[in-house]
Amino acid sequence: MSEELITPEMFEHLVDLAAIALDPSQSDYLRGELNKQLNAINELIAIPIDESIPLAAHGVPYAQADAAPLREDCWEACENPEEILVQVPVSEDGYIVVPDIPHSDLE
Amino acid sequence: MALIDQTATEITQKIKQGELSAVDVLDSALERIRAVDGRPGALDDGIKSLEDEKKVHAFISLTEVRARKQAEEIDRRLQSGIDPGPLAGVPVTIKDIFCVKDTLSTAGSRILANFTAPYTATSAARLEEAGAVLLGKVNLDEFTFGSSSESSAFQPSPRNPWNTAYVPGGSSGGSTASVAANEVPLSLGTDTGGSIRQPAAFCGVVGLKPTYGRVSRYGLIAFGSSLDCPGPIARNVEDAALMLHVIAGPDPKDSTAFERVVPDYQEALKKDISGMRIGLSPDYFNITFPDPKTGELARQEIQEDVKKAVYYAAEVLAGLGAEIVEDVPMPNTAHGIPTYFVISRVEAASNLHRFDGVKYGYRTQKEGRDLNEMYRLSRAEGFGLQPKLRILMGMYVSAAQYSEQYYQRALRVRSLIRGDFEAIFDTHGSYRLDALLTPTTPTTAFKMDAVYGDSLLMQYTDQLTVSANHAGIPGISIPAGLDASGLPIGIQFLAADFREDIILQASYAFEQATKDEAWRKVRPQVLQ
Amino acid sequence: MTEYEVVIGLETHIQLNTKTKIFCGCKADSWKAPPNSNICPVCSGLPGVLPVLNKAVVEKGAILAAAMHADIRLISYFDRKNYFYPDLPKGYQITQYDQALGSGGYFEIPMPEGYVRRVRIHKLHLEEDAGKTKNDQGRRLIDFNRCGVPLVEMVTEPDLRSADEAAQYLIRLRQLLRWLGVSEADMEKGHLRCDANVSIRVKGSKKLNTKTEIKNVNSIDAVRNAIASEIERQIKEVNAGRQVQAWTLDWDDETGKMWMMRSKETEADYRYFREPDLLPLQLDEAWVKDLIADLPELPLERRERFVREYGLPIYDADILTGDLPLSTYYESAVQGSPRDPKTVSNWIINDVLRILKDLGISADDLNLTPQYLAAIIKLIDENKINTATGKGLLMKVQETEKAPAQIVEAEGLGLVSDVAAIRAAIQAVIAENPGEVKSFRDGKETLLGWFLGQVMRKTGGKADPKLTRQILVELLRG
Repeated sequence: MSEELITPEMFEHLVDLAAIALDPSQSDYLRGELNKQLNAINELIAIPIDESIPLAAHGVPYAQADAAPLREDCWEACENPEEILVQVPVSEDGYIVVPDIPHSDLE
Repeated sequence: MALIDQTATEITQKIKQGELSAVDVLDSALERIRAVDGRPGALDDGIKSLEDEKKVHAFISLTEVRARKQAEEIDRRLQSGIDPGPLAGVPVTIKDIFCVKDTLSTAGSRILANFTAPYTATSAARLEEAGAVLLGKVNLDEFTFGSSSESSAFQPSPRNPWNTAYVPGGSSGGSTASVAANEVPLSLGTDTGGSIRQPAAFCGVVGLKPTYGRVSRYGLIAFGSSLDCPGPIARNVEDAALMLHVIAGPDPKDSTAFERVVPDYQEALKKDISGMRIGLSPDYFNITFPDPKTGELARQEIQEDVKKAVYYAAEVLAGLGAEIVEDVPMPNTAHGIPTYFVISRVEAASNLHRFDGVKYGYRTQKEGRDLNEMYRLSRAEGFGLQPKLRILMGMYVSAAQYSEQYYQRALRVRSLIRGDFEAIFDTHGSYRLDALLTPTTPTTAFKMDAVYGDSLLMQYTDQLTVSANHAGIPGISIPAGLDASGLPIGIQFLAADFREDIILQASYAFEQATKDEAWRKVRPQVLQ
Repeated sequence: MTEYEVVIGLETHIQLNTKTKIFCGCKADSWKAPPNSNICPVCSGLPGVLPVLNKAVVEKGAILAAAMHADIRLISYFDRKNYFYPDLPKGYQITQYDQALGSGGYFEIPMPEGYVRRVRIHKLHLEEDAGKTKNDQGRRLIDFNRCGVPLVEMVTEPDLRSADEAAQYLIRLRQLLRWLGVSEADMEKGHLRCDANVSIRVKGSKKLNTKTEIKNVNSIDAVRNAIASEIERQIKEVNAGRQVQAWTLDWDDETGKMWMMRSKETEADYRYFREPDLLPLQLDEAWVKDLIADLPELPLERRERFVREYGLPIYDADILTGDLPLSTYYESAVQGSPRDPKTVSNWIINDVLRILKDLGISADDLNLTPQYLAAIIKLIDENKINTATGKGLLMKVQETEKAPAQIVEAEGLGLVSDVAAIRAAIQAVIAENPGEVKSFRDGKETLLGWFLGQVMRKTGGKADPKLTRQILVELLRG
């Protein structure tokens, strides 16, 4: 069994980055699953790679002719911005309302 | 035979000839749905009754009123002599990962359970413009994360129409189930690691993953941005070709959609395949995965009757004049899953950042002290376990200190995987293949609840499909028989970029050559 | 007492003046719009949306990079910067991290003291702006109108050495941005935003010490004051034997106070990775070459040329090259005028500029065209009108849009050069003011000016001043 790469401390850090609140049992399950998956992912480390192999952000290569032209700088008004706003959980006078951000300290 | 048991091609032809009305076809579909689908997936409760266990549960939202308006409009146009389009009057279902205006577009998640899309995805809009009747949104794994559709927040999740004790596959399980149960002839699904092809194989239908960039992703709630492909699911190859032609093509709203002309797929279908070079690779007849106990890499052969089906297909194709080339090496196939774990997680974690309870979707009702609390609670309460897992893994492998080791590395391995395909399809190479023939999945459908919960084994069912997503090339799964327990077996064709015509051609040839075989006469359990 | 040297680097965010946002077709300028009215599915980060790059953003970004003498990358990439903030709808910002549009380059800043500070540019990249938030009774109100507005972020090397230099950098940058037509650069509207990185070191040292970052300084004065205040604070700290901490600070210009911001932001792990929804930005080499060749003469280049070609003092040249339209105006006027460039310069600096300011317009909007200005100067030169009349004509031409000669004719403003008429006017003044005449004849020759004024009044300001003076002297000395 490989070492546990994701320690509870590292896990907490990831949970923080992900902005998700977890209870202890969920944390345990997820941390266990992550470590299991890491074993699979660590296969990647064993593969001989050299710098000459390019990074492929997409599988299919895009030639110039294939690329869509850039957008012309012309105004296209959205037909129904109200339908976007109506999805907002808490709104007031057209603004989106959220609780305050923890405030900065004073010097 | 009910109206809805016909193919899309037949339906639209008859409608245009005035033999059928779109409303009649719609009613036939609704009747079938009432008979076999059972209750739609909902957030309320997952308590399954015995009744539930016999039904398909493909749907989340059945948009009957909207569909009826569309069908009536089609009939009106026909009356006035206007051609409503190549899919006139064909009922279709849309995987609920697409935004469709004025419908709930949930991604199978609590976090979007109340989200009504204010716009329609390009691929769905093209179906509507072609005269299709959008019947509703069908169920899926939450945010398409999974291979069984069980992880949806909307329960009961879809069941395999061939045997409802089994999963339909995923993540486009609702799509393939709705087509296999003859509720509709066509469905729009998505394939990121095999999510169209695998459930198509499990459900005995045709599922096609186009070349990346062949079909616009605008309106597809993103999972793996460099991997996601919308694609058609149909009961036969001709219908899949018809639907692909409608949805494919450039889109000014998607910068990654290729500026390439869409060929006439239906014409390509019927071409003679003699001389077509079709390869078989030993690397696709087993799966490689880490042993859960030792962590060491283990190899396991795929299910025997799946293997047999592939060889049988090769024989049939050879009989039609194709050249079968054996022992084609695809050495990087085994790296597909770990690479997928990394790339898709990084993209997914980032794509899911926007679900924060601020401007749409679920926001926690709990009184938090501040904004951070609101984020953390909304996301904790809104996301199921599978999204949480993906997000956390994504954070890990893209974190500054690990990015080089994992993410950058995975992007290079992706080049290697792509390289395997470039080598075999190279017209000046050693193999010069037109297509590669493989099994779609290592096994046929598994039982509900069997694998779910063990994310690792679930993922490895995608090993034979995921390489095509990394490489971007097109792939199709078609039915090729039934296994010993009567579950469908799927075989897969893969070809070079933008050669959907070749995989459709090969599929059609096999389909036609085997059309009278006994297994094709067997109907799914729910239709018996 | 240890002498310290100040080391400053600036990060500016420049709002480009394209018509639409960087990745969608909403307007780029929504200064007066009601909240959340200038939005669409793309810029409000709805599920399923995709970015599509605005061509004009690339063009303007490249022009700025060229003007900064930066290396323009023929292939540059977009990346995602991931973090949570309510004004960032997607939860990530699309920016350019490691392969940006421009790298290297420099910007030369002439200082009033007479030296030139050359500031090296580290990089120039394209990115999208976030929305706006404001506080309201313990809640935050968010407006997405500004989400997706195109920005160029320019980062300098730490080459500035004083608060004044930093202020001059912004002044010259603002001038250049408007000159190139890539940004309105109105700091009050947030078109030009600035963060300053400040550190100190013992004079002569080459080492870079810990710096603090001052965020959100949004006026030239605020930059100067904030940096000056921070320098003072750092020197105090170091002299007291303490270490400068890598704080992020917020400057309140009204109270003149510095606040410390949460340092959490500086610890953020943004997990940058290539934006998969956009293709690499590929520029055609020939296109870039043409772009560089088509750059207008830049402000400081033109200023040098005005000094050289027109023999102007640097003070004049600096004002005349304040903005592109004014400098073009000046050159056109010089070309149409018989008088020396300095005269034309005086007219513009002393008079035309005031008109521009009062009317709130730019030189290319004037009805008082450079040709008309030149004509006025010519009329005075030919003695057809006097200077006072000439000055009055400026506004008359601006208001009526008529040619100066036309107005002179219509209103009878021509110089009175009729000797007899002048004689008569002078004689009348002499007769009406015997006391002053006696004072003059008794030796108070300074009264000549007064007499001149009186004659001017009598002739409605139209008497030829030279001739009048001549005859006055003759008659007064009698």
